[in-house]
Amino acid sequence: MNALAAAPVTEAGASEARALAFLADLSQTLAVSLDLRETIDEAVVRIADFMQAEAASLFLLNDDGSALECRVCYGPVDLTGMRIEIGQGVVGRSVAENRALISANAQVDDRVDRAADEASGFVTRSLVCVPLATARGPIGALEVVNKRDGSVFGPADAEILRLVAAPTALAINNARMAHELIEQVRLKREFALARRLQKSLLPKRRRDAFPVLGVNLPAHEISGDFYDYFDLPDGRVGFFVGDVSGKGLDAALLMVRAASLLRWIGKDGTPPAEWLARANDDLCRTALDGRFVCALVGQCERDGGNVHFAGAGFPPALLHRDEGFTEYPSGGPPLGILPGIPFEPHALELGDGTLYCFSDGVTDVRDAARRTIGEQGVRELVTRHAGSSSGPRLRAMLGELKRMRLVDDTTLLLVERPSSRGHEVLLERRFPARPQAMRELRAALRGALDGAGIESGLRDRLVLAVDEACCNIIRHAYGDACAGDIDVRVLSEGNQFEFRLLDTAPVVDPACVKPKPLGEERAGGLGVALIDAVMDEWSLQARPDGRGNRLVMRKRVEARNQSGDDNE
Amino acid sequence: MNAMDVESADGSALIRLRGEVDLSWSQQVRGAVLDALGKHPRVGVELSEVSYIDSSGIAALVEGLQKARTQGRGFALVAVSDAVRSVLELARLDRVFPIVADAGAIPDVTGTPAWKP
Repeated sequence: MNALAAAPVTEAGASEARALAFLADLSQTLAVSLDLRETIDEAVVRIADFMQAEAASLFLLNDDGSALECRVCYGPVDLTGMRIEIGQGVVGRSVAENRALISANAQVDDRVDRAADEASGFVTRSLVCVPLATARGPIGALEVVNKRDGSVFGPADAEILRLVAAPTALAINNARMAHELIEQVRLKREFALARRLQKSLLPKRRRDAFPVLGVNLPAHEISGDFYDYFDLPDGRVGFFVGDVSGKGLDAALLMVRAASLLRWIGKDGTPPAEWLARANDDLCRTALDGRFVCALVGQCERDGGNVHFAGAGFPPALLHRDEGFTEYPSGGPPLGILPGIPFEPHALELGDGTLYCFSDGVTDVRDAARRTIGEQGVRELVTRHAGSSSGPRLRAMLGELKRMRLVDDTTLLLVERPSSRGHEVLLERRFPARPQAMRELRAALRGALDGAGIESGLRDRLVLAVDEACCNIIRHAYGDACAGDIDVRVLSEGNQFEFRLLDTAPVVDPACVKPKPLGEERAGGLGVALIDAVMDEWSLQARPDGRGNRLVMRKRVEARNQSGDDNE
Repeated sequence: MNAMDVESADGSALIRLRGEVDLSWSQQVRGAVLDALGKHPRVGVELSEVSYIDSSGIAALVEGLQKARTQGRGFALVAVSDAVRSVLELARLDRVFPIVADAGAIPDVTGTPAWKP
């Protein structure tokens, strides 16, 4: 190697070292930047200086990726805000082709768009442009124009600019991702706030003997469903339940408006048909952008007696009485579509029955096979839980719906004569005395105990104890002649829980049923010991008529989740 | 849903149970445990996917433990789920059974437990 050849190598080495130092410095500045906008401004100036360029500019793709816009510019002419189509000029081509482009003599280069020069009088002699590359393609471009010493840009300059562009692209990309994340968090917070506002519109569960009870479970953060109940001046009770079409924030806002409007019109005891007609006219006065409101409004006596109600495009109300069902379809279309429409009211004497109002989210619930449960599924749901008191019943029904797939907001409201008993029936059902029926029994028990707010550990132990008791009835009371039923009833009165099992098996001598000590490695006799360990007390007696046995187990539950809030 | 499968290799068998072990099929579980102890020097019952077990299920495991001890076999419960563990604790049998984290840790011979009530 001769001396002449060595000189440029040394020079190249020096410039490489300088480039590396600059790059390290720039990367660090970008990485620790708190204000990217300011840092990028400063970075562009430093890049121009480092490249010994007269001007430098940074272009970013706009939101839809259709064009580039100059976001930062350094030099005698301010290009900030300038738009360049993808593929147009050197900058547009560099992004379209995702590679560095050099123009050594811009004055005769067809790729160079000279419109800016003509407008400003600036003369572009030479330029280099590199894309701001990310893993998901270029997000913009970095361009430097005219070497200050009058020489032209070459491949070495393009290579250095490409290196410099890398940390710049990374920093911009990171900042964008951080911004998106912040935006998501902000949206989430706003949705949570909207949900809290919505929940604050729903009534609290009444602790007094009250004929109306409702629950609401939104499918998403915010709900289009609503319900309310309140005392009327004449001593009766007013109630309504509704469903706003569509989803999202605007549906949620319409829900707030519809709920307030219905409350306002109904607070003085306006008859149901007129109540709906007035709400309809009011909603029709303003544009709802194709949205509408389905609702059912009604009044009943405090003891549940006479019920008057009317529906507007709401799913049929379902009366469950004497193990039969009667449907009451809506007497008019949804609110907010056509003004001046009359609504057909219904009146009925409730007696021992229960009137159920379900938003369509209930019939739309999907079972394990993703089929909607439909009207039939709803009737089965009502029948399954018919024995228990209104509060536990509604919560158990909701619990069962929750275990399936909710596709829409779900609201249940019921009207019935309030219970005058001091206790609540959490579960009252007959199960076949067969081992195969125990799985369903356990599921029903879990649902009932969950509905009563019992913590999961204790719930599981109580389920185990009742299951053990049933297994003993199956194995030892009914024995091989396994053809009979077990009537299971769970009551709560305050913190006291009672589990009663009735069978029709031959009478068992209670003296024969004794717990064995726990911890022993014995294959038998463990069941009674488990019942003994879980329950506070239990007693086994022959039924008074001598046909079968009656086992009563009791447990006092100290910690119970008993908020007055049934809504999720 | 409930399921049981048995894997055997290198002188050991692993009975994997899933679902709710109750009176409706605990006799099948008992049969499988006793059968495996008749054929393999080491037997484990894997319980990580068991969401419920009643006293008839526990009884099947107790019988397995007793048979293993009298016949000089290794026996252990493997990867016990929380649901099973709490029933074992309630029955005060949690320190009677050898409980191991994986099938590789099943003992060669099941001895007297370290703790007795």
